[in-house]
Parts: sequence; structure tokens; C-alpha cells
Amino acid sequence: MVLPETRTRQNRDTSPRGEGKKRWSTTIVLLLCSTTVLFPFYVAFSMAFKTGEQAVDGEAFTLPSPWSVEGFVQAWALTDYPRAFAVSVFITAVAVTGTVLASAMASYAISRNWDRKFFRWSFYYLLSAMFLPFPVLALSQVKLTGMAGLANPAGVALLHVMFQLSFSTLLFTAFLRSLPHELEESARMDGASTWFTFWRIVFPLMAPMSATVAIFAFLKSWNDFMMPSMIIEDSSLQTLPVIQEVFQTQFSNNYHVSFASYLMAMAPAVIAYVISQRWVMSGLTQGAVK
Amino acid sequence: MISAGRGAPSPLPRFSRRAALGTMAGGALASVLAGCGSGGGGTRVSLHQSKPEAIPYFGDLLEQFNDEHRGSIHAVHDISANLSSGFARGNPPDLGCLNYNFEMLRFQERGALSDLSDLEAEANIAPEVRELVEHFPTYPGRTSVIPYSMMAAAVLYNEEIFAEHDLEIPTTYSGFIELCETLQEAGVDPVYSTYADAWTVSQGLIDYSVGGSIDVPAFMDELRDLGPEAGPDAPVSFSDTLREPLEKMLRIASFSQPGAAARNYGDGNVAFARGEAAMYLQGPWALTEIDRIDPGLPIGIFPLPMTEDPDDAGVRVHLDLALWIPEAASRPDEARELLRFLIRPEIADPYNQANLGFGVREDAPDVTDARLQDLQSYVDRAAFYQGISQALPGTIPFENYCQAIVTGQSLEAVLRTLDEDWARLARR
Amino acid sequence: MATTVERGAPPDAGTRDRPPPRKRSRRVDRTYHLFLVPVLILFSVCITLPAAMGIFYSFTDSIGFGEYEFVGLNNYLVLFSDPAILSVYGFTLGFALCTVVLVNVVALGLALGLTGRIRARVTLRTVFVLPMVVSGIIIAFVFQFVFSHTIPAAGQALGIGPLEESILADPDLAWISIVLVTAWQAMPQALLIYIAGLMTVPQDVYEAAGIDGASAWNRLRHITLPLISGFVLINVIIGFKDFLAAYEIILGLTDGGPGTATRSVTMAIFAGFEDGDYAYQMANSTVFFLITLAIALVQLRLTRGRTGG
Repeated sequence: MVLPETRTRQNRDTSPRGEGKKRWSTTIVLLLCSTTVLFPFYVAFSMAFKTGEQAVDGEAFTLPSPWSVEGFVQAWALTDYPRAFAVSVFITAVAVTGTVLASAMASYAISRNWDRKFFRWSFYYLLSAMFLPFPVLALSQVKLTGMAGLANPAGVALLHVMFQLSFSTLLFTAFLRSLPHELEESARMDGASTWFTFWRIVFPLMAPMSATVAIFAFLKSWNDFMMPSMIIEDSSLQTLPVIQEVFQTQFSNNYHVSFASYLMAMAPAVIAYVISQRWVMSGLTQGAVK
Repeated sequence: MISAGRGAPSPLPRFSRRAALGTMAGGALASVLAGCGSGGGGTRVSLHQSKPEAIPYFGDLLEQFNDEHRGSIHAVHDISANLSSGFARGNPPDLGCLNYNFEMLRFQERGALSDLSDLEAEANIAPEVRELVEHFPTYPGRTSVIPYSMMAAAVLYNEEIFAEHDLEIPTTYSGFIELCETLQEAGVDPVYSTYADAWTVSQGLIDYSVGGSIDVPAFMDELRDLGPEAGPDAPVSFSDTLREPLEKMLRIASFSQPGAAARNYGDGNVAFARGEAAMYLQGPWALTEIDRIDPGLPIGIFPLPMTEDPDDAGVRVHLDLALWIPEAASRPDEARELLRFLIRPEIADPYNQANLGFGVREDAPDVTDARLQDLQSYVDRAAFYQGISQALPGTIPFENYCQAIVTGQSLEAVLRTLDEDWARLARR
Repeated sequence: MATTVERGAPPDAGTRDRPPPRKRSRRVDRTYHLFLVPVLILFSVCITLPAAMGIFYSFTDSIGFGEYEFVGLNNYLVLFSDPAILSVYGFTLGFALCTVVLVNVVALGLALGLTGRIRARVTLRTVFVLPMVVSGIIIAFVFQFVFSHTIPAAGQALGIGPLEESILADPDLAWISIVLVTAWQAMPQALLIYIAGLMTVPQDVYEAAGIDGASAWNRLRHITLPLISGFVLINVIIGFKDFLAAYEIILGLTDGGPGTATRSVTMAIFAGFEDGDYAYQMANSTVFFLITLAIALVQLRLTRGRTGG
């Protein structure tokens, strides 16, 4: 029993909990709570823009004076930011695309053949990885990726897709069930093949859920630390989060450099989120409801 | 390319995961070095060398080597891989140049390192250094590693502060305590400690106090002989043997600056360089860091006295770099060629000089760094020991135990755990 | 996020209610196999095979490479009598439990607030979801600085004694910092699920309760909570699964210290691997998986009992 999407939509658009005056008291309490969320970002921000001398005593409350980009310049060169950024983008792009395509195709095959044992059991089989923590597989995967020549970003992207399969297939099969079958059937009447029907008709209809699957795959892949740090052999091909750990010893007590580096690593995802927050929020909520 | 901060790798007694990551040092640099791979032709041979302070130095050495062997061999610098993963993946480096400690043992024990006995004559290793290798169980009938560089660590002290308070270098334990008390009365923090980085505790306070009090290799031999009989109540045990040295250690630790529990290696280097404390229990690798903050700071070094007999004093040494070639190396012949290049006196001696290490050859020259000369006489008469932290397998989180002791856990309980861990390992 | 799991197979209901579009041929269109089989093969190679390898090696004395011998159940026997392992499990379970409670209380409270009559709803929601988009290791490094420098500095400036010492340096309190930071990062996901859940509660139920003059607390306890109990359980299940595998936040904050006070199971597994304890940690991994699975199954059962009945 999955809740119909339309209902949540309606509720979200109308003012929830009835009409009446908006409460300032609740708003103020929430605003206060939000400082807890924002505080670490403030610390990172204020430390990153300090000069070396200002940063050395680790005082985070006062804003930088004068403002300086010295930390950014140093962090950029030290961590070879463009390279790490490119690796992160590569892994995330492959992982997101791969997750959406692989799980959409598998889910379509499963949901349209649910009456057949093979497809039904495949579904449970894929789902079984849902509660498999990465550490359990990590050591064997280090071995296997090494043997297969995949101890690199491509291997990490592949594993990201595999780890996202369970959850994504779950979302897609639930969505496919709620999809009206009329279009599909009329295409079939016209003699369209399964291949054609899927790519031209069903897959485009799956777009809203694909967005949800993509957002979750993005968050998992972009922010992952454990897997790239274990799997990728060449440290010059490490991702942004892992680079932060690798350079801990190099940052030493140059707090302005380390925080500039953290900020640069966080920035792409935060900016993307803030720009597309409405869309992301509805995607995430949809994932939550399913 | 100098490392500081949490888990600075070179002095790390064990090859922990943190160290492995830490040693990856500069990704930027790595890319530059990796980029060299496309340069010359010839057979590709990989050198695994990840001591961060020495990475640029070895980069230059490899360039020199590649120039000499243009067209036949091309050496690439592998600073990244962590060793366990490399071996697990089935592609270990062709030549390793790493810290020699208990971690190497499991490679050595299982025969994963090839025999280098034919190179021994050429390497001409001093007997007392070779003995350091033999403190660990070796693979029968094989010379698994060739030592390359030895580091000696003791107590760093600020000569200005000592002069200001008219203090002399202590040669006995009671003298040391007295000195600390004098400093404390004068309002100076006697010792700067950095408990937040566990390795600094084991490397400094723990290793110095244990090594200065007992014969570590003999103790470890006795423990090993016990086999599965080991335990807190066995005739030989950590609980029994280490108790007194570590109680003395805690007395010394009590002279640390306030808030030591939250300070890390990076903090310690900055504070000591700024003259915030009189002494600092760190190795020569920290000198490089301190130099960057205050190059002119007059620093001396003396061994931590743990007994009332001045002749007992010794310094903590470890084989900072040792060379080995895995059995599974894909290019063993070229690796040998590279190894011979590295051990040439005209290559090895300048390396040790530049990196504050002691040479390991019988005819190695003395150190030239003025501060390290304080230690030369100890090294010459082999008044040194390997830290106990080097002698324990990584599966026992010894560094963490050391941290626990100095941050207030019961010494007795920790030693008991250590004994039980050791016994359990012996039973496996 | 996983509502469907507890209701059994989602597509099942679909096919029952509504026959699939084409049922005329008994043979399956090859294209369906083309869609599914490659995925199954990759999944088996990347997930199932490593899991099987892990179990296999747990019965050996392998150090990760080279030769090995079978040692039967020895690794498991030693494991269960190893206080270091037991304390690691103790810490991990306790930490997961505390974090689950904290996350759910905070997220539910925020969800109630954010679905109430407030101003700046969109902005506030955007802010509260923000922690979800940043990497755990980075946020752990930022908090590491906050706990070891910023808070003690503030404590000194304001003369608040207990804050002057870094919480990370205290073996008895360091775990609290890990709970706080983990909760900080995990809260948005639970929050979104609660917001979605609260939106499914029909308005008229509240209106009826309003007439009866029920207090806010009673409304929450007797009306809202029972209606969203499914969502609470989902959050608990997801939370437990994620928190049991805790690693990077601990790595960034305390690295398992002081001493071994905050070592998690995952840390022990990885550290053991680096130190050549491959087979032993494989046994540990296997046990860890069974425990994670058992906890999830127990919770799934509970969920099924609640929402099905």
C-alpha cells in the first residue's frame, strides 16, 4: 500500500493544519533550531577566509578581517582540487546514470512479469542487499576489483550502482505499478516491440521517479568516503571527500587552508541543492513516501 | 612535502590505516610523479616509498636512476597504495622502501618477501643494525629486508629555556623529575604532550620510558616463548614487567601542559617552536616541522633517563626505511637494479644527511646536523633500543592503549587487557 | 523511504488488482531478459560473490593474500571471547540506539513545526535538509575543530567550566559528540519521511479532536503518532542500519579514541584488515552482517504486525 502521490501533493500545496494565523512563536523556535544546522557552516566559512596569522589560534566566532583568499589558493594547489573534482564528478555521473538505467530496466522487466517465478525471485534477490553494510563486503571487493583491474574510479562507480540497486528497484517497481497502462497497451496494439515501448513510452513516463532515484544516487555517490578510500589504488585519483582525509596531515595547523579545502569540497553539492531545492525536496519527499 | 598533524607517518611505529592514508601525501605531487611514467621507455619498475617527508627526495633519485638507465628500465614512484590492499589485490610493488616494524613481519613470516642474501655484502650493514632486524622473527634462511636508514629519537629541549633557568641535562630519573619540578616552580611547562594523536604517546612517553628501563627484545622473546600460556598471571607479562616503567612514565606525563589531551602533533610542533614548553618527546622528524616555524630555535637532544645510573641511558631507534622485494614482484631483476642504485654510498649517505637519519652501513659517516650530533655517541656504542610499540602486532591497538593510560584509565586494567590480547593472539 | 517493504511485495498487489497488459503468450519476451539478466549478473559478481568470499575466508587463516589453511570455526570461537570485539559491538549498538532515539525525537519535532502554521516555511525546510547534502567525513572534520577549539574557547570566555575541556578528549563523554554529529547529519532524512508522513494524516481527524478540546500533547500521542507509526518504524529501521555501520564521522572526530572508547565495528574490521588480520575480520564481518540482518528482520516483523493489524 503506497500512498497515492496526488494526495500528498494536494496537502502540500494547501496550507497544512488548516487555516488561521501563522504562528510566530513556532517560527522563532524553528529559526533558533536552524542555527544549530548553520553553525558549522559559519565556522567553516569564517575560518576559510582568514589569513594564516588570524587562523592559527583557531578562533572561529569573529569574522575574518581582512578577508583573504590565501587559504583557497593554497588548498586549491595542495589538494589539486580540479583533479579531485573531476574524479568526483566522473564517479557521480556514471553512478547516477548507471543507477537510473539499470534499475529502471530491471524494474520494468520485473513488474511486467511478476507472475513468473524467475522475475519475482530476482526482485527479492536484488532487495536482499538492502541490509548488507559495505564493510562486510569491503575487503573482498578490494581483492576482486584489484584482480579485475577496477581498483580505480570506474570500479567505484560500478559498485555505487550495485549498492543503489536494491533501493532504486524498490522505488521503480512501486512507481511502475501505479503507472496507467493504456498508453503502453495502445503502443503494443500498434505492434511496437518491448524495447521500443520501454524507451519511447514507459521510460519517459518514469521521469519523476527517475529524478528521485537520481537524487538519492547522487547524494550517496558524491558524499561517499568509505568505498573510494578502500577501492581506489592511486591516491591521485581520489574523490573530494577522501582527499580531505588524505590531506589532514598536510593541513597541519593551517586552519584557513583546511577549511578552505572543506568549503570547496562541500560547495558543489550545496550550491546545486540550494538552486534546485524545490525540485530536490519534492523528489526526496517522494522517495520518502514510497 | 612535510607531514604534520594527525598520524604523521614517518615516525609511526605501525603501519596503520591512518598512516597509509597519511602517507599518500600530496595528490598533486603524486600526479606529477606519476606523470613521469609516460616519459622514458624501458621496463617499468615500481618503487613503493611513502614516507611523506622524503617523497620529493626520492622523486629526484628516481629521475637520476631513470637517466642512467634510459631505454632499459623506467622506475615509477608509488606513494599511494596501502600495502595490505596492494598485496591483497595481487599487485604488490616491485621494490618496497618502508618503515621496518612488526607489520613487515607478516609479509616476512609468510615468505612474501624474496631472499636478498646475495646483496648483503654490497649493502655492508653494520652488525648492530642487522641485529635490529633480527629482533623480529625472520623467515628461515632468507634475508628478507635490507636496512636503509635509521632514526634516533629522544627528548628535544629548548636550550634557551634551559639556559635561562640555569639547568643542566639530567642523567638520572630523579634528576629529570627534579628538573621538571624546578621548571614548574618557575612557571614553565616542563613537557609538551599531544595526547590527541595516539602515536605521539606511544612513540614518546611510552617507548622512551619502557626502552630506558627494560631490555625490550629479551622481554619480547620471553613472551613469545610462553606461547599460548601467556596472560596477566603468567611468569612473564606486560602487567608485571611494564608496570614500574609506566608508573614512572605517568609521573613524567604529569608535568605536561594543561589540556594535553586535546592537542595533536601539529599543535605540539607549533607550541614547542614558540617556546611554550621546555621539552618535547619527539623524534628528528619534528625538527623539520619546528624549523619551518622558527628556524633559529636552539634545540638540543638528550635520552630520557629512566634509572639512577647514567650509563643506562639510551635512545629510541627504528629502521625508518628498509628495502625489500616481494616474491610476487613482477619485475624482480629490475627491482634489484634499483635497490643496488639506492644503497650506493654516494646515494644513501646524502639521503640520510638530508633527512636527519643515521646511516646503516658499517662505514657510514657521522650525522652532520648539530642537534643530532648529541646522539651520535649513543648510536656509535649501540646504546639504543627499538620501541616496544614497534614490537607489537597491529591487531593489538597498542597506541590506543597508550592514549588510554595517559588520559586517565587505570594502568593496571590496560596492562591486563594487553596481556589478554597477547594471549588470545598466541592461541589463534 | 521503504514503506513498501513491510507491506510485502509491491508489484504483487499490482498484478493481482490489475492483470498485466499482455498475457497472451506464455513465452517471455526476450527483451525482458535482456533488461534484467545483465543486471543480475553484475549484481552477483559485485555483491553476492564478495559476500560468499567473505564467508569462505572466515574459516581460514588468510592474511589477505598468499597461502592459507582452514581453521574451522576457530576465528568465530576466538571472536566471541575477545573483549576487544565485544566492547566494539557494545559501543556500536549503544551508539546506534542513542542516535536513533535522538534523530527521531528531533526530526519528529521539527516535522511537526515545519508542517504547522509558520512563516518562511520553504527557507526553513531548505536549511534543515542541508546536512543531508554534505559528506560525513568533511562535516566530522569541521565538528572536530568546533569541539576541540571553538567550544572550549567559548567556555573559557564565558567562564563555563565544563565546556573548557574538549569533549573529544574525555573517554567517558567522547561518544556524545559522535551521537550529536551523526544525528546532525542523519536528521534530514528522517525529517523528510516524517513530513511526508504527517501529510497523510487527514485534517478532519484533528478537527474532530479539536472539538473535543484535546491538548496538543494528547493530540500528538493519541492521534498523530498512531497514524504515522509506520513512518516511525521506517525511520528506526533505516537509522539502525546506517548507524551500525558508523565509520567516517568517528574517524574524523576521535579516530576511535581516546583509547578505544569510540571504536566501532566497522573501524575494527578495517583496522584489522590493514594489520593483516584478514580472515579474523572476515569472521567479524559475517557476524556483523547477521546481527544487522537480525535487527532489521525483527523490526520488519514489528512493522508488519503494526500496520497489517
